[in-house]
Amino acid sequence: MSRAVLVVGEAQGGHLARSSREAVGLARKLSEGGSVTGALLGSELGGAPEEFARSGVDRVLLLPLAGAPPVRAVPSAGPLAELARATDISLILLGGSAFARELTGALAVAWEAPAASGVVDATAAPDHLEVRRPIFGGRASQLLRLPGPRGILLLRPNAFSAPEPTATPAPIETRPVHELPPALLVGERTGVSPVEGGSGPELTSAAIVVSGGRGLKAPENFRLVEELAQSLGAAVGASRAVTDAGWKPNSYQVGQTGKTVSPQLYIAVGISGAIQHLVGMMSARVIVAVNNDPSAPIFRVADYGIAGDLFQILPPLSAEIRRVRGL
Amino acid sequence: MEILVFVKPVPEAESRLRPRADGKGLDPEGVKWVLTGYDESAVEQALLMKEALAGSHVRSVSFGPAPRGEEVLRASLALGCDSATWVEQPPGIEPDSTDLVRTLALVSRRYPADLILLGKQAGDHEGGLAASALAAALGRPGFSFVVNLRFEAARQRFTFQRVAEEGVESWEVPGPIVVGLQQAWNDPRTAKLQNILKSRRMPIEKVPASEVVAAVGDHPRSTVEQFLLPPPRTGAKMVEFSTPEEAAQKLVRLLREEAKVFP
Amino acid sequence: MPEFSLSEEQRSLQDLARKFARTEMAPRAAECDRTAQVPEDIYRKSWELGLMNLNVPTEYGGSGLSLLDQCLIVEELAYGCGGMTTSIIANCLALEPIILGGSEEQKRSVLTPFCADYHLASFCLTEPGGGSDAGTVATRARRDGDHYVISGEKCFITNAPHASLYTVFASTDPSLRHKGVSAFFVARGTEGVLPGKDEEKMGHRASSTGTVRFEEVRVPVSHRLGAEGEGFTLAMRTLDQTRTPIGALATGIAQAALDHAASYALQRRTFGKPIGEHQAIQMKLAMMATEIQAARLLTWNAAWLIDQGKGATLESSIAKSFASDAAMRVTDEAIQVFGGYGYMKEYPVEKLHRDAKLTQIYEGSNEIQRIVIARELLKRYQR
Repeated sequence: MSRAVLVVGEAQGGHLARSSREAVGLARKLSEGGSVTGALLGSELGGAPEEFARSGVDRVLLLPLAGAPPVRAVPSAGPLAELARATDISLILLGGSAFARELTGALAVAWEAPAASGVVDATAAPDHLEVRRPIFGGRASQLLRLPGPRGILLLRPNAFSAPEPTATPAPIETRPVHELPPALLVGERTGVSPVEGGSGPELTSAAIVVSGGRGLKAPENFRLVEELAQSLGAAVGASRAVTDAGWKPNSYQVGQTGKTVSPQLYIAVGISGAIQHLVGMMSARVIVAVNNDPSAPIFRVADYGIAGDLFQILPPLSAEIRRVRGL
Repeated sequence: MEILVFVKPVPEAESRLRPRADGKGLDPEGVKWVLTGYDESAVEQALLMKEALAGSHVRSVSFGPAPRGEEVLRASLALGCDSATWVEQPPGIEPDSTDLVRTLALVSRRYPADLILLGKQAGDHEGGLAASALAAALGRPGFSFVVNLRFEAARQRFTFQRVAEEGVESWEVPGPIVVGLQQAWNDPRTAKLQNILKSRRMPIEKVPASEVVAAVGDHPRSTVEQFLLPPPRTGAKMVEFSTPEEAAQKLVRLLREEAKVFP
Repeated sequence: MPEFSLSEEQRSLQDLARKFARTEMAPRAAECDRTAQVPEDIYRKSWELGLMNLNVPTEYGGSGLSLLDQCLIVEELAYGCGGMTTSIIANCLALEPIILGGSEEQKRSVLTPFCADYHLASFCLTEPGGGSDAGTVATRARRDGDHYVISGEKCFITNAPHASLYTVFASTDPSLRHKGVSAFFVARGTEGVLPGKDEEKMGHRASSTGTVRFEEVRVPVSHRLGAEGEGFTLAMRTLDQTRTPIGALATGIAQAALDHAASYALQRRTFGKPIGEHQAIQMKLAMMATEIQAARLLTWNAAWLIDQGKGATLESSIAKSFASDAAMRVTDEAIQVFGGYGYMKEYPVEKLHRDAKLTQIYEGSNEIQRIVIARELLKRYQR
């Protein structure tokens, strides 16, 4: 049964977010021969519309919104719901990001549709959707049945592959400006500062994450982790012990009270594996641990382990990775 | 200021997770239900704001089956919340996210508040949608991923930061607002023994199931078809090596050829 | 029928103590053991959270808990560190004579200010010449007008170097032997009160222990607890209350040992499998679990009986002696499970064994406990 699917994309740093392209792949599968439309909200989109047009969608709709930037999630739900109703959309997909998550919640109310977040797999039946998502920090997962006729899925980053760009771009159409309810537009953003992270990719959406823990012994040794991350093009994270000790800002923390990451590959260096850290990274596809204590709990959840002195292991590991990648 | 904080009882982090007999949910047997994670931060945030603004009142609310819903309310009272309300879960309904938002909206209308706080996501299902959904339902500004939330009484505005991928945004918004909190500006406090004992004697208001049934109405419900545990981890495949260089080479080869995770 | 499950209220108390023990006490336990530094900041935090002065009634600012509730808390604290727990509950020991034997005026004037701020207290009964032989009190309290003058030396006194308050047992009439002993409370800073230095101990090293010399210390008559000659009875009634929580303390140490040993047994591999799959280790773990269950239940039973007002000298002596002996056996086997690593200070189990030892000695040595058990037992057989 074919259905019209809408992918709400996002511009990040003047480009289409990778999570949006991942959503297009799933959208095509779930549309079962129906249409896939991409939507972008607001202005200041940079090259995102053109990239979206080549991502595999049938058309791109630009929805300008009244009011000063930035686009706010809660007020955007109304216009999107209206668009979905006007174009007979039955399924909306969003690629996981902070904005997308806020939007999903509001959209569920505005469009009166069931929503699921953190989705890692989805199949469509004529009158319902079945989605799988990790829960309990990745220690379990649920299969959810979303009853038709409408549904909203917020995808987990790195869970779906982005299709190759298409040769011909899809048409881009700009919709009329939407007015938004003033009550939702009170207040203002007064500034943005870059996240205190390294120069690598952002932690929660990165495909590879390398994290360091107390085993590094001193803040200056964290550079071993950063070098390994650089050789992999990975994001850098840290255990709570490291952020509590002030070696790295809180924005680096992976774990129960920090960030949850869902990379393809997670490398834990000098991290013992307390449950509070594990719940932040356990749903990574492949976990590697380097620790000199062979009985450290992290080895129970890792896929591959090196029980050895990280100070001896990390430099040759970074070197080998650079060699293999031709860097 | 009137502050409403919604808390959810979730299994303690160290709990062993077991599926129940019908395979559709967690087996509650032996599970310890606690106030934790972002919800615990939300309560801390509510109490910090109460302490900063004289004459404020904090009400904590939870929704769910007895007795776990009550236990987290007692925990929040012991920490310093002024009052608590337990919303009874209607029998025969396994609430989905739509039910939840409609219930939260019902309670929010009953207890008007300048600030509604939720943890950014619950410790079990980690949906993270409730705060913005509630904001939409109430027609109020709502923000999630919030840190450093304060209230400037002189200008009657909330100031906070929102942690997003692109950067940390600074915002100022007049109330009433709904906030999905990521972090309070202090570590959550520990309740003193005397307050723990006192909290057991404090009354907890109740919103009966009948009102909830009316509020959630009839709608096609999402259902959990399966609660799955991943295949048990057998433990790491330990790389054998005699030199660090050998360890590096073997690991890289495994990641490329066996795990296939290499860019 | 006895009910063995805990109420929600009891579980909340247990949770509070457990969280404090695991997040505040346990991370510093090894360091305090190594350096024998007294972690005053941890003791102060325990007071702030209401985990100190558990036995003092709430009207005087204490936590006013039943003995069973106290035992639940003490076991959790001891899991974090036995030594720190000894210092924390030493307050209960020192204040109990005032609770049991003090007048309303004395309780209000001493307990209320004591509990209103962070303070440590010491129970001063033991002397160089008399430990188990507690009736032989050489410390003299000579009546002089409306004062007593106290002279003598007390030893092995927990918290002595840091206490603000000393509960002292001194003889007002040596000719009456134990019937001539009286009880007093003395504030630190009173002229002639000379706390000695911290002793170097085998275990409980986070707890300061030392002598206290009293050199012609003048205390007003109003500082005497009860009548002259009632001191020894007051001391025994005190120990009747405080003996049972020592059972809980020993149980907490033993439980920590079992948890370490069992985790290790799942991780350490020899001969191709985790050592927890070898029968020799399984026998040890089974013994440990059994003894801990028994120790805990004996402690709970004694505490419950005392809370019912039934007086349980027999049961509390059984609980204390069994639990402390069990803690020694359990911690000994825990070291054995760890093998060579168990002998290393870098691993936590050898400290537990050193800490367990004291529980067989203090608050009435186990030899005395067994005499008490026999005596109480035989009473029940007499016609």
